[in-house]
Amino acid sequence: MLEVDVERRVSPTLTLQLQLRLGPEIGVLFGRSGAGKSTLLRLISGLARPDRGRITLDTETLFDASTRISAPLRRRRIGMIYQDDLLFPHLSARQNIAFGLAGQPRLEIAQRVHEVAALCGVEHLLDRRPATLSGGERKRVGLARAIAPRPRLLLCDEPFSALDLARRNALISRLMDIQADQQIPILHVTHSPAEAVALGGRMFLLENGRIAAEGPSIDVLANHALAAVDWEPLTNLFHATLLDQLRDDGASRVQIDGGPALIVPRLEGHAGERVHVQLRADDVLLARASVPGLSARNQLPGAVERILTHGPNVEVVVQCGEVSFLASLVPSAVRQLELAPGAQVVLIIKARSCRITSVEESAEAERRQAHTPGTGKQ
Amino acid sequence: MLDLGPVWLSIKVATLATAFDIVVGAPLALLLARRPWPGRPLLIGFLCLPLVLPPTVLGYALLLLLGRRSLLGGWIELVFGASLVFHWTGAAVASAVAAFPLFLIPARAAFLAVDPRLEDAARLLGRSNLSVLAAVTLPLAWRGLAAGVVLAFARAVGDFGCTLMVAGDIPGRTQTASLAIYDAVQQGDDARALGLSLVIALVSIAALAAAQGRDRLPEPHL
Repeated sequence: MLEVDVERRVSPTLTLQLQLRLGPEIGVLFGRSGAGKSTLLRLISGLARPDRGRITLDTETLFDASTRISAPLRRRRIGMIYQDDLLFPHLSARQNIAFGLAGQPRLEIAQRVHEVAALCGVEHLLDRRPATLSGGERKRVGLARAIAPRPRLLLCDEPFSALDLARRNALISRLMDIQADQQIPILHVTHSPAEAVALGGRMFLLENGRIAAEGPSIDVLANHALAAVDWEPLTNLFHATLLDQLRDDGASRVQIDGGPALIVPRLEGHAGERVHVQLRADDVLLARASVPGLSARNQLPGAVERILTHGPNVEVVVQCGEVSFLASLVPSAVRQLELAPGAQVVLIIKARSCRITSVEESAEAERRQAHTPGTGKQ
Repeated sequence: MLDLGPVWLSIKVATLATAFDIVVGAPLALLLARRPWPGRPLLIGFLCLPLVLPPTVLGYALLLLLGRRSLLGGWIELVFGASLVFHWTGAAVASAVAAFPLFLIPARAAFLAVDPRLEDAARLLGRSNLSVLAAVTLPLAWRGLAAGVVLAFARAVGDFGCTLMVAGDIPGRTQTASLAIYDAVQQGDDARALGLSLVIALVSIAALAAAQGRDRLPEPHL
């Protein structure tokens, strides 16, 4: 549990003054540039000091202005990933990941490096230098380096903003895996609504150094007139298991964790393999009843949970099993279908709209992509 | 047969001078590369004076500072029982001072080029300041530091005016190769002048080559 209650003058026009509590979950710190997002991360990590207030992590006080406690950076046990990666350029990926483990027995270091490398999908990159890695690969090595020393908190300072949408979504899935595995609070800074929605979690909307709203990402975004924000296409991200190959038409079936089974493009792999599913909210159709004679392979019954309007767009959240699907519609469609919370609908999803990456293979695929000219380095 | 005594003395003097420059210069370069403070530009300017002052002026200043009648010179004689002046260690001090900016400037540039955020990242990963210096700062600044060492060594080997002022030109005691070559030319001993010049050139080239050898080829970008 991270508890922050601080005040810090950043500039003559900006004073950061906020309270924030974050348990073992993903918190999204959202706001325009200059709202104080990065300053807050600097205060928590110890790179800067608050003028007033206190910061506690689990039972330890990291900072307290009244008792003049300020734990040094190296004792805070906070992991951090950065927009510029900040990998040590003179060290291999393996040495980078092991950097925070110095002083431990050699065998334990090797074991832990192997463990987090598997979790982050970088096992095949361990002997390479950062300069030879693609953007996504560097992010994953940075992630592995940050979690190797078992931090009590992970801070993410707009780490994925330089990547394209598909690669960003693959990394977001991985970050969610890590949260599930490590059970620590993750505070993720972003100014991308799509990233915030894909991550789910709790959003803290930062405006002029204060928290203007707090709640589920999609609600905060829709309720707080973020029309000015540039909305990228929203994406549904699911974790799933490969069920089987459909013999007749070269497709595969995956079981979404806590949700329905989905027919997706053929995926080479063995039953039981873990995969990530990306599905753009634009590609999800809604109908009031199942439609016969349709080429789309998936028709899934569900119930409308919420309808969120922002500017000329409507996002419909549909509950299906324990997971929610996000469907982007235009307002007239909502009127015509008479959609309202509780309404029974059918989600229509083309198999080809689902982008599947195997957890192990996504690393491999990205490496291949990185080797084609022009896409490797930024 | 060519008497290589002056060459050995030059190498001995230049090695000691370079070692002195590293020990004093490296921490100073690091300090001067970090956060600015009011007197910093003035101090940097002062430390770079040997670059712009005539060597004789520099030598004369050292003579005033280290001579037997000076406070510091008197103290050195009292403690060590000998004076630096007209002694080979005086030549080392003279060339160290003359070569100092040639180490300090590249060393400071090398430290400036290390992204301080990398050092912060290392601290956040649990490393102490000393450990960050050893594992991040020095390895990343290594090439610049090595360049400074080579430049300082070459300058120290080549020093003439400053050494002459402080240590004199005593054959067998303070006569370095540079001074010996000058003497040989004055005495019309062309063979000796040429021989010593060639040997000194070889020493300099060897020092450069050694520094190059430390540079690994960049890894292929695949």
